[in-house]
Amino acid sequence: MIDGRKLGPRDIGKLPGEQLTFIDTKQLMPLPAPFDNPDTWPKWQEPKPEWREKYAASLDGVIAIDTFETPKTKEEQDELVRKFLSGVEKMLSNEANKGIIQCLNLSMEYCAKCNTCSNACHIFEASGYNEIYRPTYRAEVLRMIVKKYFTKGGKLMPKFVGADIDLTWEVVARLGESAYRCNLCRRCNQTCPLALDNSLFAKEIRKIFSQEMGIAPKPLFEKGDMLQLKTGSSTGITKAAFLDTIEFLDEDCADLTGYEYVTPIDKKGADILLIHNAGEFMAWPENPTAFTILFNEAGLDWTLSSDMMGYDNVNYGIWHDDLMAKKLAVAQNEAAKKLGVQRIVIAECGHAHKAAAVVADRFYPGKDRVPVQSFLPLLRDLVLKGTYDLDPSRNNFLTTLHDPCNYVRQMGIVKPQRDILNAVMPKGNFHEMEPHGVNNYCCGGGSGFAIMNSMNFTYFRNSVSSRKKLQQVLNAFGEASADPNIIKYITAPCSNCKGAFRDLLEAWHMEDYNFHYGGLVELVVNAMTKFETPFLEFLRDE
Amino acid sequence: MILTIFCWLALILFFGLSLWKAKQFASLPMHGRQDLYPIPLESSEKHAYGGSYMEEDRWFEKEHKHNNVAMVIDMLGEMLFIKKLFVNQNKFWWISYALHLGIYAALAWTVLLFVGAFAGMESAFGSIVYVLVTIAGVVAGVLMTLGTIGLIVKRLTVLEFKNYTTPQEMFNLFFLLAVAVTGLLTFLLNGCNFTYGYAITYAMTRFQALSEVCAGSLYPVANTGILYLHIILLGLVMIYIPLCKMSHYVGKYFTFHNVIWDNRPNLPGSKVEATIIKESSIAPAPGKNWSAPHYQPAPAPTDEAK
Ligand code: SF4
Ligand code: SF4
Repeated sequence: MIDGRKLGPRDIGKLPGEQLTFIDTKQLMPLPAPFDNPDTWPKWQEPKPEWREKYAASLDGVIAIDTFETPKTKEEQDELVRKFLSGVEKMLSNEANKGIIQCLNLSMEYCAKCNTCSNACHIFEASGYNEIYRPTYRAEVLRMIVKKYFTKGGKLMPKFVGADIDLTWEVVARLGESAYRCNLCRRCNQTCPLALDNSLFAKEIRKIFSQEMGIAPKPLFEKGDMLQLKTGSSTGITKAAFLDTIEFLDEDCADLTGYEYVTPIDKKGADILLIHNAGEFMAWPENPTAFTILFNEAGLDWTLSSDMMGYDNVNYGIWHDDLMAKKLAVAQNEAAKKLGVQRIVIAECGHAHKAAAVVADRFYPGKDRVPVQSFLPLLRDLVLKGTYDLDPSRNNFLTTLHDPCNYVRQMGIVKPQRDILNAVMPKGNFHEMEPHGVNNYCCGGGSGFAIMNSMNFTYFRNSVSSRKKLQQVLNAFGEASADPNIIKYITAPCSNCKGAFRDLLEAWHMEDYNFHYGGLVELVVNAMTKFETPFLEFLRDE
Repeated sequence: MILTIFCWLALILFFGLSLWKAKQFASLPMHGRQDLYPIPLESSEKHAYGGSYMEEDRWFEKEHKHNNVAMVIDMLGEMLFIKKLFVNQNKFWWISYALHLGIYAALAWTVLLFVGAFAGMESAFGSIVYVLVTIAGVVAGVLMTLGTIGLIVKRLTVLEFKNYTTPQEMFNLFFLLAVAVTGLLTFLLNGCNFTYGYAITYAMTRFQALSEVCAGSLYPVANTGILYLHIILLGLVMIYIPLCKMSHYVGKYFTFHNVIWDNRPNLPGSKVEATIIKESSIAPAPGKNWSAPHYQPAPAPTDEAK
């Protein structure tokens, strides 16, 4: 294995049949208390021999693509390279890749190799600067391949133009894995003096694997897109189960609050179709319940949909496959049209915000689109208007706010959540992370990582990709971080981010220090004077 | 005369090829949205923290005004100062900025020389122009030399740059260095003045042979060997720049304007919608689409299934 800090893009094919580099646990970014001692860190999980045998573990020992069985015979290996190149050709096609070709060509052509973007990447920094995680690493490898096989310069003077790469099956396999070491958070894009987007390269490699080779992590494709298209939700919740769940949630809500709130379903011609990430119903049911309370209290004309494509706003396609992204977005829009609602409001899910409001925005003519907006401005206006009788002292603990990349950096929704928090938290209890807002760091669960748990990928997420966020959280709470007597709540208004925080808190045993996490709407309901019992479970336990 | 023609050719090709490059990017299909905040086109209040029109309830019913002044200021900050590099990588900004400032000075020098070709050196206006030509020329030569040397040293010695730099990228830097050094040498070997520059633009605008102008009494140039070498290198670099990635002045317009700042929504009746409709026929030819199984049309039901 080679020390990652010494690797260059040309080295990606080195050590065939072996692991190229490793996560150097001694070099990982240091953390403040209570994790200033490396003995408190999660332990590295060596890939099992049978995993190595079957999957592509030869990049850094981590396996993200749990459906990619490495080729064994020479024919299979050659076929893998051939298919990859055929995917690269389509990636470069104005027709097959029309939705991104302009941006891709710009990023492909103009990188000045100034490395400004590298300083912005939380994964690169957290790893202790292992080159394979540098934003430009996979970009440069792909650029070399493109030059070698698809440009005249690359054919005539490969060394001169930087096309001297030997494209073996191992390079393809490592490149495929490396595409899942980037959260597609686009923080690097923001700092580039030429506004180039290195996340595009990760996404395009994922697309080549998915769209050409039919290979994508199971949680994204088979158990994600495909399951959602088949049953209506990537959680597998069918329409009948969804209806039952809502009934249960309303009953539980009545038990807890003493008030009957009915979640409207399939109300034709309503103003608002609210779409949740269906994961909330199972993992964080208090979140949809809080929405029901808040929307009903405000007297909004709203509904959920029980249409097969109307009750889960998830769209994993945006991370790896254009066709899947489009199919899901179109179907969700159709469900809204069927109900005749005026607008779709996306609940607390970051990627669903971006998928429905931004990515899908140019999929079909505007006249066929039901307008999509975030729940945040709506709720901000309601809170600031005094719709709810709020007592911030009911949220008598510390909090910090995580900014989901998808709707903050990539949609510019920054202030409403802060207006809400400032209205529901006691003065001085809300501590911003640094940096925050559009300069935030990803939670480490972005682009599918939060739901990818196969083999040892979890280690990578909890110890590397979420590390910077952990550092930010600890810094935000300062000395209180190590004090188990002080309650600390990480406000994460996004399902995927919450998933990442759930695992992070567990892997680092942060409950021992009284850390909690959850959404934003829960804080609003918890501050409502109307209810006697605290809405937040950890306050009830106190 | 050949050199005069070559000078015109280089100038025309520089602009022509740059426009051609821009046209290539502009003719590609409209991409999906890639907004990245902060976007200076938003209101100044929102721009300050990176907010957008999507922070408004029912944003689709509200007017979305563009703040073009802030956009121009931002763009100028990037163009003139490479602001993002300064903010995010202060350590190397100076080197890169020296080179870029040197190039801007060289552009100013060229424009001033064309003015000088008509203003001469005698009139009051002409002498002001001459002073400016001298300042711009010296600044261009010195900063381009220092900037390119700095970048070359950085790329040869710092591993994180060395590993990613191709021979062509080194060649580009040496090419620019050669232009700057021959320019400075021509200046130094010809009495430390820019009469030679006047000779070039005079020959170009009067369509005369450069050798005749240099041999004449208006703009005499004694050491023409180094001058001709400089002109050839300068002309070649001008033709080469739009053809290689040094044409990032074209790309940068698109990446900012057309990509990360383009948050125009697809509202009914909008330009975006019109483009979507117009481009809906762009599709891969048969056999050229992605070939994973889920991209294949669903098979027709078999007789048995029917
Ligand atoms: S998109 Fe985010 S995770 Fe990916 S390279 Fe850029 S900064 Fe790193
Ligand atoms: S900041 Fe931009 S130009 Fe510089 S290395 Fe990164 S992608 Fe390339």
